[in-house]
Amino acid sequence: MKEAPLANVTGTLLMTAFLAVTLLFVMQGTFETRAELANTFVHQAQVQKAQLDLEELLRLQIDEENSLRGYSLTRDPFYVAQYRQAAAGYDAKESEISVILEGQHLTAPAEMLGTYERLQTAWRDQVASPWLRRPGELLELDKTNKLFSDYESRTGYAIRQALAGTDAALVRSTQIQLDRASYARAFWVVAFGFLAILLNIYRSRLNRELEEERTITDILQQAFRSESVPLPHCEVGSAYLSATTHLAVGGDIFDVYRLSDNRALVLIADISGKGVDAAVLTAFIRFMIRAIAVRHSEPAAILAEFNVAFSKAVGNPYLFVSMFVGVLDTATRRLEYASAGHDCAYLRRRDGVHQLSVTGPVLGVMEEPYYSKTIDLDPGDTLVLTTDGLTEVRNRAGKPLLGRGAIELIARAGPHAQQLVDELVAKVRARGGKRIRDDLAILAIRMLDGESRG
Amino acid sequence: MVRVAAVLLLLLPALLGTALADCKIHRGDRVVLYSTTDDPSVLLWDSRARLREYYAASFDEAHAMLPHATLVAPGTHATVTSCTSNYVDSPIFERPADAIAVVTTSGPQRGLLRWVLGSDVRRLPNP
Repeated sequence: MKEAPLANVTGTLLMTAFLAVTLLFVMQGTFETRAELANTFVHQAQVQKAQLDLEELLRLQIDEENSLRGYSLTRDPFYVAQYRQAAAGYDAKESEISVILEGQHLTAPAEMLGTYERLQTAWRDQVASPWLRRPGELLELDKTNKLFSDYESRTGYAIRQALAGTDAALVRSTQIQLDRASYARAFWVVAFGFLAILLNIYRSRLNRELEEERTITDILQQAFRSESVPLPHCEVGSAYLSATTHLAVGGDIFDVYRLSDNRALVLIADISGKGVDAAVLTAFIRFMIRAIAVRHSEPAAILAEFNVAFSKAVGNPYLFVSMFVGVLDTATRRLEYASAGHDCAYLRRRDGVHQLSVTGPVLGVMEEPYYSKTIDLDPGDTLVLTTDGLTEVRNRAGKPLLGRGAIELIARAGPHAQQLVDELVAKVRARGGKRIRDDLAILAIRMLDGESRG
Repeated sequence: MVRVAAVLLLLLPALLGTALADCKIHRGDRVVLYSTTDDPSVLLWDSRARLREYYAASFDEAHAMLPHATLVAPGTHATVTSCTSNYVDSPIFERPADAIAVVTTSGPQRGLLRWVLGSDVRRLPNP
């Protein structure tokens, strides 16, 4: 049973980790795809620029030839200037394309462009230059010009095809990347959604189990909780602080139990240990003490009988209990008490606060005799019983309050029983911080005078 | 023997028909010569084989073949004497081109019987 919460927490953490990893995969995949696509688009843009520049190059090459034909027909120097302008433009454009192709590592188109450039240079040497020198003697050069024209067309076509092929391959590559990214994203989204649903189901089940446990705990706390009842001629105040988070029970116990109309059993005890295990033991102690107190009116006898029964019943040599048991007669205001190693019992009177002495060893350790003491109380006297959660509370410097500090606090506290208890609790919280390190039980019973008796 | 000859006679038109079936230009068609390359002049070749080799040859090889070619101006008229379909292939052709034998009927080279690439030939409407 104790391993279940840990397994639940581990399961939740694992699933949350899965979700986080899934999310990371999705994000990483998205960034990778974005980077790949960006590279492809840059590459594609360069190829498309090369294609456009190639068309411009072919146009300039035709301009060169047409300019020569114009010069041949008209002898107008304007065409020579046109020829030179087209030739210069051709050379510049060829350089631009060459840089792009080499930059994009397009080896085959680059080699073909080199061939094209060599053809053009050869055409200028073998055809264009003779034409410019002797524009009338064209016929013998025409076949060579036709040959150049055919081969330049052929090479230009090959370059076009190569670039178009590269462009198409890049488009296909982009499509593949997009498809792959889409499929991957869809997969991860489905996986993410599936895990999220699983986690939700798991958490729902976990919450339901926790709710059931909480309900059981509430019921048990109800049974184990220390409680006080109103007493005639007295004010009763009490408080209980558990060191176990979210639990209203612990290893401390107090009890006020009416034995008759005017007689009441007053009990406070501190069990070694804390938490649920100790709380279960407190229920056992409270009901056993009540049962013994019905038969024995003397506190020392109650402790002695309980000591024997406790040692036999628990059988744990490392478990012991400090306990204060009192039988208070509210009519005569007489308190008879016995203290088994429980030194956190105080009596606030007009002349100050007195610590009630211990009358025997702690319970569960040895079979020693216990003694009872009797005190006659006056109106206004307040019996303050606490556990060591008060005296052991430490300030930020780590210094405990101790008995002397507890006496000072009790002396300065308000007159009414519950007021006193509340102020002590406030002091403990202020001194120890929000987190209570030890269980704390406080029980205060203030004797009322004749006029105030309820 | 007679039977074999009869079968061959029956098959011959079919075989010839198959050979000529894909040609769009036929014997007797009147055509005009015009190249769609950058230089619209047309090269005429003295043999069908050289026509094919020219389009498969390297630049230097093609240059060496030029003495076997005659250049005619674009617009030269001619008459088709025969056609061989899908005879010339080249990396730059989408599909093989026809080889067409023509006799020029206009221009300085009138009366010349030569081979020309199918894509350099346009059929003229019948008079």
